[in-house]
Amino acid sequence: MSKAIEELKLKRQGQFKKRSSQVPCGMICIVLAVAIYALSLQISTNHSTFWIIGILIGVTLQRSKFCFSASFRDPVLVGSTSLLKAIILALIISTIGFVAIEYSNSGGSESLDWIKTMGQVHPVGIHTAIGAILFGAGMVIAGGCASGFLMRMGEGFLLQIVVFFAFMMGAVIGTWHFEFWDKVLISNSPTIFIPDYVALPFATIGQVIILLFLYFLADWYDKKNSIMSM
Amino acid sequence: MAEFRLDCLYEACPIPLLKAHKKLQQMKIGDLLILETDHNCSIVNVVDWVKKQGHHVDYIEITEGQWEIFIEKQK
Repeated sequence: MSKAIEELKLKRQGQFKKRSSQVPCGMICIVLAVAIYALSLQISTNHSTFWIIGILIGVTLQRSKFCFSASFRDPVLVGSTSLLKAIILALIISTIGFVAIEYSNSGGSESLDWIKTMGQVHPVGIHTAIGAILFGAGMVIAGGCASGFLMRMGEGFLLQIVVFFAFMMGAVIGTWHFEFWDKVLISNSPTIFIPDYVALPFATIGQVIILLFLYFLADWYDKKNSIMSM
Repeated sequence: MAEFRLDCLYEACPIPLLKAHKKLQQMKIGDLLILETDHNCSIVNVVDWVKKQGHHVDYIEITEGQWEIFIEKQK
């Protein structure tokens, strides 16, 4: 570390009061979370499970600064793929995990249709590309995707409240003319489910191999010089 | 050795990074840049990028949810 920065840090540190401890606030939040868990346990087990999973996801997102929009933006903008690699790893883990859950639940490869409904396999077509472009442009302007802006709203980042209202409006507009898209594009598009063509284990292994290839590609790209280098 | 301040308060990702990039290009070697931000991704985003470019960098949290990133241009 350079001397100039060290001096500047010491100078600035002296100018501010020691920050108040946030431990009591945290304690209150934990007590509240447990209370809500206990309350929802009496209504339904599902709700209480979702509550705990939601909190765990939120804490993980906040602490790791995991950000889907940054993961797709940083490789182009700054040439860093650490978040993209994290997403690819998450996809590898969830591929294996979901196949294990669905395979054990369906009781064999005969009920592929059942897995298709469970896994929410939807038609793919031009509408996927249109949606992706709209979503991508939106999340870069808003500074975060759906999970990212909720997390930053919780942190107290005021801009995200504007994003929240825009997000709600977008969702309403989307639902409003979903019928149009369904009639023009979605209902005419094919539903591609790879285990229909090859057996489920092969499809899983193939997907994991492709993801691993992408991971190493991202790793190699990270080591190259970035576009925004000086 | 000149000292520059860059106000990036209320700016979402990746504006602080782009502003820092623009400012660093105008600065001379050895100049200091102080970047104020309240976006917690910036302290990862900007710091990582600056390190990758080979400049000296560090940051402190000056109050709850507000940081100052110190950058010393090296090349």
